[in-house]
Amino acid sequence: MNRRTATTVGRAREEVTRLWATPGYRTDYIDQHGATVAFKDAPGDRGTEIHVDLDGEGRNGRGGMLRRFEGSTGLAKVKDELRRFKQRVETGVIPRSDGAPEGESAERKIKQRPAQPLKDSELQKAGG
Amino acid sequence: MRANVWSGRNTVQVENVPDPKILNERDAIVKITSTAICGSDLHLYDGYIPTMKRGDILGHEFMGEVVETARGVTNLQVGDRVVVPFPIACGDCWSCRHEMYSICENSNPNAGIAEKLFGHPTAGIFGYSHITGGYAGGQAEYARVPFADVGPIKIEDDLPDEQVLFLSDIFPTGYMGAEFCDIQGGESIAVFGAGPVGQFAIASAVMLGAEQVIAIDQYDYRLEMARNRAGATDVIDFSKDADVVEQLKLLTGGRGPDAVIDAVGMEAAHGHGALHAAERVKQATRSETDRGHALRDAILACRPGGIVSIIGVYGGLMDKFPTGALMNKGLTIRTGQCHVQRYLKPLYERIRNGDIDPSFVITHRLGLDMAPDAYETFKHKQDECVKVVLEP
Repeated sequence: MNRRTATTVGRAREEVTRLWATPGYRTDYIDQHGATVAFKDAPGDRGTEIHVDLDGEGRNGRGGMLRRFEGSTGLAKVKDELRRFKQRVETGVIPRSDGAPEGESAERKIKQRPAQPLKDSELQKAGG
Repeated sequence: MRANVWSGRNTVQVENVPDPKILNERDAIVKITSTAICGSDLHLYDGYIPTMKRGDILGHEFMGEVVETARGVTNLQVGDRVVVPFPIACGDCWSCRHEMYSICENSNPNAGIAEKLFGHPTAGIFGYSHITGGYAGGQAEYARVPFADVGPIKIEDDLPDEQVLFLSDIFPTGYMGAEFCDIQGGESIAVFGAGPVGQFAIASAVMLGAEQVIAIDQYDYRLEMARNRAGATDVIDFSKDADVVEQLKLLTGGRGPDAVIDAVGMEAAHGHGALHAAERVKQATRSETDRGHALRDAILACRPGGIVSIIGVYGGLMDKFPTGALMNKGLTIRTGQCHVQRYLKPLYERIRNGDIDPSFVITHRLGLDMAPDAYETFKHKQDECVKVVLEP
C-alpha cells in the first residue's frame, strides 16, 4: 500500500523549512511516526513541494509493521497535517467551519456537526 | 437567531439556532438584510448533492451590515454595508492569486472529503453541503464570514439591496458564463435555461456584444422575461418542440451557435417525455447523479470549433456524455463555479453606471419565515416564480 503524499506550499524553500521546524507549526503525527520528509523547489512560481513517505525507513525498518497496521488512517492524518501546515503558512489561520470547527481532521470527516453555529459549550471544546 | 435549515429531502424549516461567533482572526459577523434562494439550492433541497446533514443552514446569496470584525479584518468597519460572495477564498494561495477564487486551496476544512469525490478539494461555500466545507449559510439573521478581508464588497452608495444582492452569485455567474464565450461582437450565443443565472448569462452576452442570443426553456413566462428584460433575440420553447438541436441550427443558418451556455445543470428536463423519464429513473436509482439533456444538446448544437460554457451545477457522474461530438467537432469546454471575487468591482460599476438593473429577475419577496413555502413555489415554478428574495 502506497503511503506517500505531497503538497505544495506557496513560499520559498528556506521559509518553508524554517517554519516546518517552528513550534507553532508542529506536525506531530509526521514527526512521531518516523516518516521521511523531503522538501523540493516547485516549478515556476509555485513555491515548495513537501513530500512525506510514511514508510520512510522502509517497510521492514524500525516500526514498519506498526505503521503498516495503521494503514490508511495514518495517511489521512499525514494529509491533515500537511493541509493545516499549508493553511497556516499561506493564510495565517486554520480555516474552521461549523461542520468541522477544529479545522481539517480525519476524525471529523466521519462525524460532522450540522452546518449551524456552535453552542458556547461546544465552542470551548473546539478551542474557543 | 432564526435560520432556514435543511431537514431531509424536500424539507426545510425555519428554526432557532445559536448566533454565529468569531472563530478566526480573519472572520466578520454580518447581520443579514437580504438573502435569496438560488436554483442550486434546489439541488440540495431535492437531495442530489451528497454530504448534507440535518440542521445545515442553507443559503449562499446574502448581504447585510457588518456587526463584528476580528482583528485581522482591517478593511471593514462595524456598520459597513456589504455583499458577500458565495465562494469562501483565502486570497493567498496560488489559485486565489490567479483570481480563481472558487478553487481556493485553503478555505475548505473538509478538503479530504472533496478530494475523494473530485480528485482535489475546491473552495468552501456558504450553506452548500459538507463537501464544500460544512459552513453555515446565509438564509438566516446573521452569518459568520471567514476571510472577510478578501470576500465582501462594500456598498457605499444608496442603491437598494435588491439591485446589488445578486453580486453574491447569479449575476457574476451568468457574466462569467458569457465571458467564457470569447465574444468579440457579432456572435450567435445559445443559452440553455432561462432561470435567474440564464437571464444574467443572456443579459451579459448582450452587454458583451453578441448579435444573436437565443434563450431555451420550457416555461413561457421565463422566455418572455428572457426576451423582454434580458435582451434575448430569439427563444426556443422545448415543451412545444423537443428537437432543440435542429431548431438552433435553423435559427443560425445551419451553422450552430458559436458558443453555447449551459445554465441548467444536473436536473435538466427534456421535451420528450420518455427520454426524461428514463433519466429520472437512473437518477432516482443513483446509477447517475447528473441528468444530462441540456449539456448533450448544447454539445450537439454548438458549431464545430465553438465553445461550450458550463455554469449550471453538476455534482457527480453523468451517463452518455457525447465525447465523440465534443472531440471530432473540436469544441472547447470552459466551466467552473464562479470566481465571484474577480467580478465584484467591475459588475458593481456596471450596476452603478446603469448598464443593468439586476433586480429584474425578482418575482417574489417574502419574510425569512416563509422559506419553506418559497422553496416549494420555486421548485415547482408556481406563480410564475423566477427569483425569491427573503428578508430576515
